[in-house]
Amino acid sequence: MFRFQKDQKIANIAGVKIGGNPGELPTALAGTIFYEGHDIVGDANEGLFDRKIAEDLLNSQRASSDETGNPCLVHIFGNTEQALRNYIDFVSEITDSPFLIDSPDPLARMAATEYVSEIGLGDRAVYNSINMTIGEKERQVLKDSDIDSSIVLGFNAMDSGFKGRMQLLESGTSSMDKGLIDIALECGMCNILIDPGITPMGNGSGVSLRITLTAKAKWGLPVGSGIHNAPSSWEWLRDKKKHDPLVFKMCDIASAVMQQAAAGNFVLYGPIENAPYIFPVAAMSDIMIYESVEEFEIEPASSHPFNRLV
Amino acid sequence: MDTVSEKWPVTKGDFSAGNTKSCIAVVTLASSMPLFEKAAIWGSCKTENLGAEKVVMNVVSNCNIRYVLLCGGESRGHLAGQTLKALYENGIDEDGRILGSEGAIPFIENLEIETIQRFRQQVELIDRIGLTDLDEICSIVDNYHDSEKPFEAFPVSFRKAVRKYQAPESIGADIVISEKVVMDAFSGLIYEIA
Repeated sequence: MFRFQKDQKIANIAGVKIGGNPGELPTALAGTIFYEGHDIVGDANEGLFDRKIAEDLLNSQRASSDETGNPCLVHIFGNTEQALRNYIDFVSEITDSPFLIDSPDPLARMAATEYVSEIGLGDRAVYNSINMTIGEKERQVLKDSDIDSSIVLGFNAMDSGFKGRMQLLESGTSSMDKGLIDIALECGMCNILIDPGITPMGNGSGVSLRITLTAKAKWGLPVGSGIHNAPSSWEWLRDKKKHDPLVFKMCDIASAVMQQAAAGNFVLYGPIENAPYIFPVAAMSDIMIYESVEEFEIEPASSHPFNRLV
Repeated sequence: MDTVSEKWPVTKGDFSAGNTKSCIAVVTLASSMPLFEKAAIWGSCKTENLGAEKVVMNVVSNCNIRYVLLCGGESRGHLAGQTLKALYENGIDEDGRILGSEGAIPFIENLEIETIQRFRQQVELIDRIGLTDLDEICSIVDNYHDSEKPFEAFPVSFRKAVRKYQAPESIGADIVISEKVVMDAFSGLIYEIA
């Protein structure tokens, strides 16, 4: 469809490459495990879970990734320091994929950051996320850590429109001394993954798509999002789900295609159970996108679904 | 005088309207519970920004609502319940930050400070965060649903804000679509070059 004039940077996170022009690298896909309400979790504060099912889920994502060529990451969600420690120990033992450290509690995120540095897994971890609420302490913890990859979240709660989010990334809000990209660089992040932030349907869900194009044109950084959060919070669709769960699932998974078509490089696709469905969908998009830019002399990576599946 | 805005609830979400003349709104936070029709509105609020905004909008657009019951399990990390309490007790600063909220990103973006003030004046907050016993919640609704007269003011009405597009002063191509067609990503313009 198109290519960017600006050189596109490629992040390399423990061997997983993310970024580039459309058609170049396969879209990286991150499935979430231990998420809020995940039925394999017994005690969310202690981080107790069904290890057998968790292992099966991680292996299933890996098998899907091996089949299509789309690299996978594991998006670990935890509420507490203890839970995150348990989850990280387990995930790093079962798979060699990079993993995202995500918690709504900054103290838990910071403690997990220190923990992965301590146990030598800093190069496999992706901090999720550097966002508008980052404070001095969090910055210092990141600076002192071995983590050099982070999601930079563009959601601006003071101005969630296109300009507000771009401004947050570039120069920050009125209460910040600089933009989030500069903060990420200052914190030692070599692999910056921009996530424009997904808001619900009716609250600007599509803004992120335009920011994806703009951020890549402006900075050449890898961009992606958890776009499935838009349909999954859509009341109309949730109502449909009561009658036909497949309708919900189709919309949830299909939303990834929107992010890919807008030049996205990675998709946080939500529940890891969806791996067997999302990987073929993403591979299909990657192939079609590549074939749309073939004449631009874009070379698809050897692992690209185009080189594996057609 | 009309006490309820037309087409109330004015904003949609994971909640349902009950009796619009009822004095009490029930916010079940992260819990999902079946509607008790004696409440004016009943449903969840999981986020400390857009979720909190929706609660405020649906309350100030219905003057009959004089009580907001916070109950159900707190939404982890987002702390929507604690945030609504902070909003009620302290309001917001000039940047829209909810003062005293411990939620992750506690900002009000789409409401005026006057609307927040109105919310704080119109209702009394009943803090029962953590309460999930449906019978007890219904009994609180029973006690309050017809206990107060409507707030003496017009219901606040809302219009969807539309951000105006400003054409950029200069346009430069940064996305190539074909030999002669390029796109300026910032403005979203696709155009043909000479």
